[in-house]
Amino acid sequence: MATILVVDDEFGIAEVLEAALTDAGHRVETAMNGRDGLQRLAKVVPDIIFLDYMMPVMNGPAMLREMQSTPAYQAVPVVMMSSLPEAVIAASSSGYRAFLRKPFVLRSVTDLIAEVLGTGTES
Amino acid sequence: MTRAPDTASEPARLLPSGIAGLDTILKGGFLRGGIHLIQGDPGSGKTILGDQICFNHAAAGGTALFVTLLAESHERMLAHHQGLAFFDETLIPASVTYVSAYAVLEKEGLPGLLQLLRREVQARGASVLVLDGLITAEESAGSRREFKRFVHGLQAQAALTDCTMFLLSSTAPRPTPSEHTMVDGIVELASQLFGRSAERTLEVLKRRGLGFLRGRHSFRITDAGIVVFPRIEALLGKPTREDRIPEDKLPSGIPRLDDMLGGGLPENSTTMLVGPSGCGKTIAGLQFLGGCSADQPGLFFGLFETPARLHAKAKHLKLPIEQSIGAGHVEIIWQPMTEGVLDEIGNRMLDAVQRRKVRRLFLDGLNGLEELAVEPARLNRFIAALSNEFRGMGVATMFTHEADLLGPADLPMGGLALREVSGITENIVVMRFVELRTRLYRMVSVIKVRDSDFQHRMRCYRIGEGGITIDGDPERAEAILVEALGGRGLER
Repeated sequence: MATILVVDDEFGIAEVLEAALTDAGHRVETAMNGRDGLQRLAKVVPDIIFLDYMMPVMNGPAMLREMQSTPAYQAVPVVMMSSLPEAVIAASSSGYRAFLRKPFVLRSVTDLIAEVLGTGTES
Repeated sequence: MTRAPDTASEPARLLPSGIAGLDTILKGGFLRGGIHLIQGDPGSGKTILGDQICFNHAAAGGTALFVTLLAESHERMLAHHQGLAFFDETLIPASVTYVSAYAVLEKEGLPGLLQLLRREVQARGASVLVLDGLITAEESAGSRREFKRFVHGLQAQAALTDCTMFLLSSTAPRPTPSEHTMVDGIVELASQLFGRSAERTLEVLKRRGLGFLRGRHSFRITDAGIVVFPRIEALLGKPTREDRIPEDKLPSGIPRLDDMLGGGLPENSTTMLVGPSGCGKTIAGLQFLGGCSADQPGLFFGLFETPARLHAKAKHLKLPIEQSIGAGHVEIIWQPMTEGVLDEIGNRMLDAVQRRKVRRLFLDGLNGLEELAVEPARLNRFIAALSNEFRGMGVATMFTHEADLLGPADLPMGGLALREVSGITENIVVMRFVELRTRLYRMVSVIKVRDSDFQHRMRCYRIGEGGITIDGDPERAEAILVEALGGRGLER
C-alpha cells in the first residue's frame, strides 16, 4: 500500500479521497494548498501526489516547480488535477506524471495510483 | 504521460427518473453524479418519489440505496409501497437496499453519517442514493456551518462515486437556507387547495446548468406511483413542428356546410362550433369523424356523453361514424367531468393523437374543460398551445363551445362573446335556435374561415336520420328571421 498526499483546497474532495483511499489501505495525508503541501513533504515523502492546479497561497504549478528544484522530491510522481482542459494546464505547467480532469470518479483515482505505481489494477 | 478518462468533456450526463412526465420537465432527467433536494410537506409524496426513482433505476439495471433517518420505518414504508406498480420485491436487496442510518448519526454525528453513506455506496456499487429525513441530519448539526459542511461532503461524494443523490426534506422556510444553494437541483412537491378540491403540484426550483420546464406541474399518486403531467403551455410553448399552411379542404361531414365554408374545412386547421345545448354540436362532431379512414384516423375526446350514449346516438341517427368506430378508425375517449386535472387531460389527448397518428380530432367541449380547470384563466393558453401543436401535426381539430344563443333573433349574435376564443381558432361556425311563435328553428352560420372566402348568410338545418341536413339556400332562414323581427328584416 502507498503513502499518498492529496493537495486540494476543495475540502470535500480532499476528505472523500482521504477516507476512500484510507479504506483501500493507503496512508493518506492532505494539504489545503501548495505551501501546506511542501510542509507535509518535509515530514514524509509520499509515493504519489494528487495536486490541484488552482489553489490559494501557492498553486499547483508553483508547488511542482519547488519540488523539481529539490532533489529529494524530483522522483515523486505528481497527478495534476483540474477542471480545465489539459491543454491549458500543459501550457503553464510541466513535469507532472498524469492529468486528472475534474470532475472525476474514485475509480479514475485508484486506476491512476495502480498505473503510476505499477501495482496492478485496484478495485 | 498517463491520462484518466476526460469525464468533463463528455456531454452532460443525465439520470432518468423513469417517470415520463418528470423526465420531460427535466429534459431527460437529473444530473448524474449530482445532489438533488426533493422537498415538500408531510404527505406530499417525497418518499414515494424517492422509492419510485430507486425501483425505476434498478429496473433499468442500476443499483439503488435508500437510507432513512428517523423517517418511516422500512417495514411500514415497504408495506405502503407494495401495492404500487413500480414496486418489485425481486429487486430487493440485490438492486434496491434499505438502510437505517439513524443509530450512526446518533453515535457518530454528521461525519459518521457521511462515512457510512460513502462506504455503503462504494460497497454496493450504488449509482442512486436516496436519503430520507434530511431534517434529522440538519437538527443533529451543531451549527449551520457544520450542516453545510455535511452537504458539501455529500456533494463531493456524489461526484467522486458517480452516485446520483436525492435528499428528501421538508419544505424549506423562506428565505431559502443557504445550503440549498449547494445542491445541483431542487424539486418541490406541494398540494394546493382550489375551493374544496386539491391538486398536487411539482415545481423544479433549481437545476444547475441545465434547462427545464418552469412553473408548477400537476401530478397524481396513483396505483402506478407518481404520474406527472407537464404543464401544457410550458410543454408546447413552441410547437414541436412547423405550421403547415393548409392547401386542401377537408369535408366537414355535413355537405352543405362545406358550401357555406367555401369548399370545406382548411386542412390541419382548428374549427370552433358554437351554440346552445341541444343545437347538435356533438352530432356535427360525429359527422366530422364519419369521414375517418385508416389513412385519416380520428379521435372523439368527450367530457359530456359516455361512449355508450354516443354509440346510441350514432346508431339512432344512422351516422357513418358507426362503421368508422367498428373498423377502428375512430377512438372514443371519455373524460368524466367529476374531477380531473387539466394537464392530465391535455397530455392524455396529446398522447392519444400521437399514438394513433390522428388526423381528425373532435373535442366536446371547451365548457367541460372550463368546469374542470381549477384556474380557468389558463384555459385559453392551454387550448392555444394544443391547437398550435395539433396544427403542426397535420390534425384537423374541431372544438365545441356552449353559448346561450336562444331566443328572439333581435340581435342574432347577441350574447355571443367570441373575443376570448377567436384568437385560437381559424374557423368559427355558429349554431343557434330562433323562436317564432311556438316553434324553435335551428340555424347555422359561418362567421370566420381564416384566409378564405365563405358564405355569410344563415341557413336553417334539421336533425334527423343521417344527422344534420342544412337547407339548400338561406331563403327559409330569411323568412323566419324577417317574421321573428316583426317584418323589419335584419338590416336596421
